[in-house]
Amino acid sequence: MRTRPLAKLAAIGLVGALALTGCGSSDKKSDGGLSNSGGSKSSDSYTIAFQGPLSGDNQQLGINEVNGAQLAIDQANKSGDLGFKLKLLKADDIGDQSKAPAAAAQVLQDSTVVGVIGPAFSGPTKAVAKTYGDANMGLISPSATNPDLTSQGFTTFHRVVPADNIEGVQAADWLAKKAKKVFVIDDLSEYGKGAADVVRAQLKKDNIAVVSEGVDQKTDDYGPIATQVAQSGAQAMFYGGYDAQAGKLAKALKSANFTGIAMGGNGVKSSVFEKGAGAAGDGWYFSCGCLDAVTAPGAKDFTTAYKTAFNADPSTYSPEAYDATNAMIEAIKTAKKDGSVTRESVAKAITGLDYKGITTTIKFQANGELEEASQVINLFKQAGGKISVVGDIREQN
Amino acid sequence: MQDFLNFLVLGLTRGSMYALIALGYTLVYGVLQLINFAHSEVFMSGAFGSYLVVNLVAGDTFLPWYGVIGVLLLGMVSGGIVGAIVAYGLERVAYRPLRRRGAPKLAFLISAIGMSFFLSQLAGKMFNRQKNNFFPEYFDANKRIIEVNGVHVTLLQVIIIGSALAMMLFLDQLVSQTKLGRSIRGVAEDAPTAALMGIDIDRTIARTFIIGGALGGAAGFLFGTAFGFFNTMGFIPGVKAFAAAVLGGIGNIRGAMLGGLLLGVVEALVPSAPWGTSQSWIGLQWTDVVAFVVLVLVLVFRPSGILGERLGRAA
Repeated sequence: MRTRPLAKLAAIGLVGALALTGCGSSDKKSDGGLSNSGGSKSSDSYTIAFQGPLSGDNQQLGINEVNGAQLAIDQANKSGDLGFKLKLLKADDIGDQSKAPAAAAQVLQDSTVVGVIGPAFSGPTKAVAKTYGDANMGLISPSATNPDLTSQGFTTFHRVVPADNIEGVQAADWLAKKAKKVFVIDDLSEYGKGAADVVRAQLKKDNIAVVSEGVDQKTDDYGPIATQVAQSGAQAMFYGGYDAQAGKLAKALKSANFTGIAMGGNGVKSSVFEKGAGAAGDGWYFSCGCLDAVTAPGAKDFTTAYKTAFNADPSTYSPEAYDATNAMIEAIKTAKKDGSVTRESVAKAITGLDYKGITTTIKFQANGELEEASQVINLFKQAGGKISVVGDIREQN
Repeated sequence: MQDFLNFLVLGLTRGSMYALIALGYTLVYGVLQLINFAHSEVFMSGAFGSYLVVNLVAGDTFLPWYGVIGVLLLGMVSGGIVGAIVAYGLERVAYRPLRRRGAPKLAFLISAIGMSFFLSQLAGKMFNRQKNNFFPEYFDANKRIIEVNGVHVTLLQVIIIGSALAMMLFLDQLVSQTKLGRSIRGVAEDAPTAALMGIDIDRTIARTFIIGGALGGAAGFLFGTAFGFFNTMGFIPGVKAFAAAVLGGIGNIRGAMLGGLLLGVVEALVPSAPWGTSQSWIGLQWTDVVAFVVLVLVLVFRPSGILGERLGRAA
C-alpha cells in the first residue's frame, strides 16, 4: 500500500520536471541561445542581455530601452565589420526587486551572455548587482539613477545617466528660483523616495520651506493629496515617483485647482505620463539626465532608424539604452582585439571605455559613474500634450 | 472648516463607491453565508465592459448636457449588465456545482479566490496590464458645481455620489418592498423554510448575485471614470468594500451602505488632519492603516458590525 502514493509522487515529480525542462528549452529556442553547446569555441557569437521591466506597470520604460538596445545590436550586425555576431537576450524583471533575482539567474545561466544592459530600475539593481559582480558580468545601466548604487561596492556596475542626487540637487535649485514653499511628494519606492529626499534636502539648504508627504504607488485616489497640496499654499510641487501614478496625480491636482508649478523627476517624464495626464499634464516640468532624441541634433539618424524599426518615436531612455549598448559592443570589440571575449575581459574593457555616443561621452570613473563633465541634467516641459526639452537646467530661470 | 468640508466631499465620493461594492458582498453573504471574494473582479469587469460601450459612442470632445447624461446612463447600465453577467457566471460556474455536492465552506472560498485571479488575469490578457486606462473625456469632470467659501464640489463628485445614492435607494426599496426582495429576505432568514413556502432557492440566489453584480459593475464604471481602470483595480477597493460590509454588519444592506460611506470618510479625513494646514499629523501613507484600525476598533466594541448582522431583520 505504501508504494502507491510514492509512485504517484514520483509520477507527479516526473511530469513537473518534464514541464520545467519543456519551458526551459522553449525559452532557449525563442532566444536562439547557444547555452546547450556549453564551452564550444566554434561560435563567434555573443549575447548581450537586457534586464528591465518588459511587463507590468512600468513596462513602457523597459520597452523604450530594449528597443534602443535592439537597434544598436541590429545595426552592429548589419555593419559587417564586427567579426562576430551579436544577439540580445531579454530578461524581464517587471521593475520589481523581488523579481530581479530570477531575471538575473536567467541571464547568468546563458553562457553566451558577456554583458548586461541594465538593470533598468534602481530597486532591481540593488537586488542583483552583487550577483552579477560575483560572476564578473559587466553592467551598463541606461536608467538606474538611485544615488547609492555606486557606493555599495558593486564591482561591475556602471551607468550612463547621472544619479538622482545630481538631478535632484539641480531640480531643487531650479525650484528654489521659482517658489518660497515647495510640497514634495514621494511614492515610497526605492527610486521615488530617493529622488524626493534629495530634492527636500537641497531645498532646505536653499532656505525654501518644504512640506513632505508619501503616497503609496498603489493608491488609486489622488484626491486627498491633491487637495492637501492645493490648500498648503505651496507655489510648487515636486513628485518623486513614476509616470503612471504621476498622470493620476496631475488629473487630481487639476481637479483640486492647484495652480503652482508641478514637477517630476526622470521617472515621470514619459509617453505614459502624456497619455495618462492628458491636458492636465500641460505645464508640468521634468528634470532628467536624459536626452530628447526627437529634437536633439546629434540624434537624427538614431531617431529615423528607431522609427523605421519600431514604428514609434524613441521615448525616455531609448537613446541612453542605444548608447549603453553601443558602448557594450565597443567593449566586446576591445576584448576581442586583446584576446578572448569572456565576461571578465568585457567587464575589464568597460572600465577603459571612451566612447562618444549620441547622448554623451561614455567614460566611466572608478565607481561606475560617468565623468562629471558628461553628466548633464535637462529641463523638460509638457505643452499641448507633448513633453519637449527646454535645455540644461542650470541655465534656466 | 472649508478645508475639512473639502476632504469630507472626497471621502463621501470614495465612500459611496465602496458602499456600492460592499452591497455585493453583503447580499451574497446574506443568502449564502459566503464571502464572494471574486466580487472585486465583477467590479473590474464592469469598468472594462462599460469602457467598451462608452468608447464607442463618446470621444474626447465635450458633449452637450443631454449627451453627457445619456452616456453616463449608458455607462452605468452597460457596466451593470456586464457585472451582472459575470456575477451570474460566477454563481453558475464556481458556486452552484459546489453547493449541489454539499462542499465545505472552505471549498467555496478557494473557488472564489481562484475565480478572482482568473478574471483579473483574463482581463490583463484580453486588454492590457497598464495602470492608466482612462475613459474618454466627454464632459468637464472638474467643473465646479458648488463653490461656497472655498468649499467646492465638482461635477464628477456630484455624479458619483448622486448615482450611488440613487442605486442604494433603489436597492433598499427592492429588498424591502418587492416580491423578489421578500424571497431574498426569506432565503437569508431561513433557507429550508423558505423552500417549504414555495421559494425557488437556486433562482433567488442567482438573482441575488445578479443584483449585487449589477451594482458592482455600475460602481466599476463610476470608479473607472474617476480614477482610471486596470486589470487589478478590483483588489484594493474589493478589500476595502469587504471591510466596509463587515464594519456595517455583514449581511445587512443598510449596514453595507453606512459602512462604505463611513470608511470612505474616515480614509479621507483622518490621515489628512488637521485640515487646512499643509502638514498632516498622520501622513497619507497611513491611509490604509487608519482605515483598518477603525475597523478593528469598531469590531472590538460591536463584534457584529455597527448595524448587526441579519439581512432579513434590518431591511
